[in-house]
Amino acid sequence: MDFGIQNQTDEQQQANKESSNQNVNEGNKKQTGFCAFLTVEFYTPYFNVTETDVIQRIQGTFLPLKPDFLNLIRGNPDLWGPIWINATLIFMITAIANLRQIDEEKENQSFVISYVPQATALLYIIAFGTPLVLAAVMKFLGVDLSFFQTICLYGYSMSTLLPITILCYFQNELFLWLIIVYGFANSSLFLIINLKEELDKLQIQKKYIIIGIVVTMQLSLYLFYKLVFFSYVTE
Amino acid sequence: MEFEVQENQANNSIQGIINLQPQVNQVNQVQVQQQEIQIKQTDIQVSSTLEESVAVTLLRDLRQIGIKLRCVLVPTMSTDNARELRNWDLWGPLVFCLMLALTLSLSGNNDDGPGIFATIFVLIWVGSFVVTLNAQLLGGKVSFFQSVCVLGYCVFPINLGALFTLFFQFFYLKMFLVIGCFLWSTYSAVGFMKLLIPEQKRILALYPVILFYLFLSWFALIV
Repeated sequence: MDFGIQNQTDEQQQANKESSNQNVNEGNKKQTGFCAFLTVEFYTPYFNVTETDVIQRIQGTFLPLKPDFLNLIRGNPDLWGPIWINATLIFMITAIANLRQIDEEKENQSFVISYVPQATALLYIIAFGTPLVLAAVMKFLGVDLSFFQTICLYGYSMSTLLPITILCYFQNELFLWLIIVYGFANSSLFLIINLKEELDKLQIQKKYIIIGIVVTMQLSLYLFYKLVFFSYVTE
Repeated sequence: MEFEVQENQANNSIQGIINLQPQVNQVNQVQVQQQEIQIKQTDIQVSSTLEESVAVTLLRDLRQIGIKLRCVLVPTMSTDNARELRNWDLWGPLVFCLMLALTLSLSGNNDDGPGIFATIFVLIWVGSFVVTLNAQLLGGKVSFFQSVCVLGYCVFPINLGALFTLFFQFFYLKMFLVIGCFLWSTYSAVGFMKLLIPEQKRILALYPVILFYLFLSWFALIV
């Protein structure tokens, strides 16, 4: 014998079933309209990857000299990678930066947690803002790369920061600068070589404008990374 | 005391008879009380809950939170649990979020109490929002608030971990406790979420849940 919770649950079940049926039907037809980008269904096609796909794409970023990445993602750009690689990075920055500050002598040490909002702002602006700017510039200059493909490219290029963040745990200044430079070179090369195919179709000046934007943003990202998060060194 | 109740399907109510024991007081007066009570469903007759006292309302809400907490944290996915969880509410997540943020910001170890409170609060709500959105975008048939509700309830073990770390100073003990709480939270949340995601995208939907609780556990350990 139930005191009414059963009835309510049945009604809710019915409502849930109906709305999920609606969602499936709406997902099949493309959302149009001015505010379509505010609905969930607009972004569903961009999450059409499996685990092996994601791992393959991340592996592709560590070998920048083989320009396979764009071919991998051309038909199926995904947004899962950019969002969650950056979220992982935020956690790792916080964890590693705090671990570096551990001072064995001091009791009741306080840790800096302001890295979280700073890292969030930095990483998400670079990961989503730069592709926005770059896609606008490229559309203006006549390159045939869609907005979501650019976001995907940029988001996955952040995955070079994953091992770099872990290696930043060590206290040696020279080592840190070396790996930062390596990371900068790796991700810039990755981006430029993958864009090369598209860029070769343009004139020289336009090509260099785009390469210039890409390199500047990567440089500022890596400098910011080093100077803000990992400059504290205990003696 | 006898308590005999019948369900009346016709007008959705329950009628019952309560027989209280004969009371024998010192002057040998025997009183037998028999009352017939009609209990109507409180969700159809709203006025009956408006007229009750605040204490009764709060106690009822607290009891609901307790019931759902037990369903969520004892990770056996029976059908009773599943049905119970469909009545989502956001009181439980709010209570645990505030408790965690307060515990961490008031602990003696840090110089930025308000900053920590704000970070934890935003992290929990925005994190639940984003993790649920991610599960929906990957094609999972999960109702939005239900998922936020479950993620919020599963924060409770981390709450316990944060409270324990207030009292112990030995780092390895703290680490051990927090890792245990993290595993408990993650196991509960994953047990709920993995039923709703298609097979090949399962890890893509579960990894954000793990990251979410890892982040909170890190704060519980460090602060």
